[in-house]
Amino acid sequence: MLVLSILITKISHFLIRLFTRNPGLTWPGHLVLTLFPDILRHPAFSLSKGYIFVSGTNGKTTTAKLITHILKAQNTKVVTNKSGANLLNGIVTELLLDKSIFGTSHADIGVIEVDEFNLTLLLKYIEPRVLVLLNLSRDQLDRFGETDTILERWKESVAHLKLNTTLVLDSTQDVFKEFTTLFRGTILYFNNSLEKNLTYPLKGDFNVKNINAATTVVTSLGIKKTKCFTALLSFDAAYGRGEKLFYKNTFYTLFLAKNPASFNNNLDILAQSDFLDTATCLFVLNDAIPDGRDVSWIYDIDATKIKTALVNKNIFISGTRAFELALRFKYACVNVVIENVDCNLKNVLAKITALKVKEVVVFPNYSAMLQSRKILTGKKIL
Amino acid sequence: MSKRLVIGHFYKKLLNLYGDNGNVEILKYRANSRGFDVELIDIDHDVPTTSETLQKINLLFIGGGPDAGQKQMVDDLVKNKAHFIKEYVENDGVALLVCGSYQLLGHYYLAADGNRLDGVGALDLYTQHFGKKKPRCIGNTVAKLSDKILNDPVFKTLNCLDGYVTGFENHGGRTFLGSNLHPFARIVKGNGNNSVDGNEGVFYKNTIGTYFHGPLLARNFHLADFLICKALGVQSIAPLHNEDVVLESLAKTVHTASLKLK
Repeated sequence: MLVLSILITKISHFLIRLFTRNPGLTWPGHLVLTLFPDILRHPAFSLSKGYIFVSGTNGKTTTAKLITHILKAQNTKVVTNKSGANLLNGIVTELLLDKSIFGTSHADIGVIEVDEFNLTLLLKYIEPRVLVLLNLSRDQLDRFGETDTILERWKESVAHLKLNTTLVLDSTQDVFKEFTTLFRGTILYFNNSLEKNLTYPLKGDFNVKNINAATTVVTSLGIKKTKCFTALLSFDAAYGRGEKLFYKNTFYTLFLAKNPASFNNNLDILAQSDFLDTATCLFVLNDAIPDGRDVSWIYDIDATKIKTALVNKNIFISGTRAFELALRFKYACVNVVIENVDCNLKNVLAKITALKVKEVVVFPNYSAMLQSRKILTGKKIL
Repeated sequence: MSKRLVIGHFYKKLLNLYGDNGNVEILKYRANSRGFDVELIDIDHDVPTTSETLQKINLLFIGGGPDAGQKQMVDDLVKNKAHFIKEYVENDGVALLVCGSYQLLGHYYLAADGNRLDGVGALDLYTQHFGKKKPRCIGNTVAKLSDKILNDPVFKTLNCLDGYVTGFENHGGRTFLGSNLHPFARIVKGNGNNSVDGNEGVFYKNTIGTYFHGPLLARNFHLADFLICKALGVQSIAPLHNEDVVLESLAKTVHTASLKLK
């Protein structure tokens, strides 16, 4: 069963990448899970240093990448789902790709970001050494149902965690308050306060939290805090999360903005950091299945933040729901030039290229981020 | 201008999940653009309400919120505010209620586990959740406004594109209107009140209840203007300020495009 699963995964992954521009990270795992639904129970999945799971609405990819980066700097061998395939199928694919055909793992430890909804499922198969829960806010209501549905699922999972698991939580999030009574094992907390005399490699208050979460995890494994921050001096943002891409003589910095919380965070970055007042900004809003078909949430973005961050910016808007975002900005009293609004992303990028500006800030939602990267890098993912 | 729009915005903090608060932002913008002063009064669960508070208001808005999180709001609404809201609706007060608040202004909400939650009773309707027997109603929607709105003299004067309303519905409960109540619209695409009788929402006196998020008034600006006219007691309303030509053209594009959404 295991060898067959590994072969299926490696071969189908190879073929998908060879013949399509798809990264081939979900389908192999999907196939394996269809054939062997309990594959994750196989002893070959246990790693010598265990697993770290990271879940939450915002910050999963960045936090998992931070942890991985620090661990690798200490010469630990890590398996991770860095491309963000964070459903069960993607996780199975990544874990199987890491194994030799004899079933042995290359990695000592797994750093896995897990979709909020799939977390409960994954915890039934693998008991992590550390579970990090970052935050919980509204996202993809049409897929997830409401936040409370996820919170109930999480509570049940937390109550069933093995006592030797370390739970890592954001102390500023009210939703986690009840967790202390549900779990008797070790709970470690992080928050948004800056460590004195240490350099944070990423902008934004929410990234301070991500970094503090990551260092809390890694120090719990016995690595000194100063070592963590030294390692992070060479950290590059995760794809689409503050990542900088060079395309036709212009630098594009991508900030994933997929729900009100992440959109507000990114508006803060835009308002506070060293971007020009008149910077060129590109917003891309799609309504594909992974984004949620409902874009009502753009009215839950803080109108004051929109106005403060965007008042003098040169704004371009694209994506399948470009006009709705343009209207939303207008109602927030931000000037939008109608000629700069076009559902076709290639057209908008052509217009921006013609401006010959040095730097463009891009706020895409999920599928829009993949679509933007595909054009800007010329390839599908990573 | 002496006319003043006073919007009573209920439970802004508790009900901030489906973008519905955008409706208030839009009403304010569109009234300001015509030179009307707008006052927003936030009425949260910890703000006591009296008949006098509601007398100051000429437009009442309550949105939708998370099923479970609505509990805090329900307690307050039914215990402390039901009487005043009932009075407001009965006295032809102008109100817009979306999703959860639409359900709660009815007689009761029958949960999937058989628990009955008493509502405000301002509207002759009830809502039932059928649990796993019936799927949640989720998706983009289109409906034709009811004749009662289309034939309203105020609505006829508005610069409206068509008689349609579009939105996004996301509800587990199914609502059934009393026999004397008019729906807000008739479903063309989507489920509406209960996916059976073709009704969407309710239009009673000057109160509109609906399942449509989107938010409703972002996708249907003619309804925003209709509510503003009704609230101010005017028969017609000027176009938006000259500076808002682009906004109005975007609003039209959004409405037309959302009629075609899958």
